[in-house]
Amino acid sequence: MKNKPYLILIFIFLIIIMMDVSAFAHKVNIFAYVDGDKVYTESYFNDGKKCVDSKIEVFDNQGNKLLEGLTDEDGMFSFEIPSEDVIDGGLKVVLTASMGHRAEYIIPANELRGVTGLIKEKIEERVSAVSPEVYLLDLKEIQSIIENTLDEKLKPIIGEMREIKKSQEDWISPTEIIGGIGYIIGIFGIIAYFLSRKK
Amino acid sequence: MHISEGILSAPVLITGVSLTATAVGYGLKKMDYKQMPKVAILSSVFFVASLIHVPLGPSSVHLILNGVTGVLLGWSAFPAILVALALQGVLFQFGGITTLGVNTFNMALPAIICFYLFNRGVRSENNFIVLILAFVCGFLAVLLSGVMVAAALVFTGEPFIQAAKLVIIAHLPVMILEGVLTAFCIGFLRKVRPEILNV
Repeated sequence: MKNKPYLILIFIFLIIIMMDVSAFAHKVNIFAYVDGDKVYTESYFNDGKKCVDSKIEVFDNQGNKLLEGLTDEDGMFSFEIPSEDVIDGGLKVVLTASMGHRAEYIIPANELRGVTGLIKEKIEERVSAVSPEVYLLDLKEIQSIIENTLDEKLKPIIGEMREIKKSQEDWISPTEIIGGIGYIIGIFGIIAYFLSRKK
Repeated sequence: MHISEGILSAPVLITGVSLTATAVGYGLKKMDYKQMPKVAILSSVFFVASLIHVPLGPSSVHLILNGVTGVLLGWSAFPAILVALALQGVLFQFGGITTLGVNTFNMALPAIICFYLFNRGVRSENNFIVLILAFVCGFLAVLLSGVMVAAALVFTGEPFIQAAKLVIIAHLPVMILEGVLTAFCIGFLRKVRPEILNV
């Protein structure tokens, strides 16, 4: 009786040691980002396996389906941002993978507008305020030069941020695992207490 | 094998919840408080097992260990699996809260079936028979869970044969691995702590 729980605790700890905590989990993830006038999505299981041929559906914020498609063999799917009058708020991208797995990702409205709407509006406003037509070309040229440079300079940073965002979603900390085991022992402790009082 | 939120229709979810509630109630009623430590430990094992990914086969799968849970716990497997799945849902976002009923039933019913099928067998005198039966027990529990997941998915419009094939083929490596693990586990307990096998 003395060393029975002891032995099994060792077994549990062996299991914990055996696994690489960050990677081994069981759910699907979808990750979407805006680049240019397209939205790119990546779908994968937590262990890094790609979701191949899985259905992707895109909804607006009212829940109307805008489009759907299948992921390719790298789990990628991309689509053009629907025109402004269709999307008022953000977009919701829903992934339905095999065996009852489902995940969603919401692209906030400001991320989408930043690309399509706002910038254009701003230029046009400014242009009309300054009015002479000579400026129109110049301003647009400057705009495109700045954009190109910024795109290039920011590319590695954006890529890194994507990775960070992704890894945050996937991460299962050892605290959660140990905590979970603690909860279980606690819950059954409480049940045991009530059962023992009854008898 | 955790079915995510938003996949199943309301009738399936409600059926799952009511069946699970009944079975958990029965399990708790039958449970002796002296068995509590064993139930808590196996619940912890089940909780952690889903983090162990099996890197074989076409899809992303993990250990389930409902066979060994069932054969060691009998009806107490229902509360044990419910608690473990609830914590997996909250802490790791596997499955979900609304699908808890269905997921618990899918995992725990095969556990009970295995308990009734192999309860006597794994306690027999012959070492060889015990190991073979334990293997079949671990194998069958996962297989039955796969069939039940497929059955739940039928109501979402996936044809049964196709869904079942997908789930079962994906879990074939898990079935074999669980069979071996169950045999190892029962064989070990039999030598070291035979009294733990008494339900």
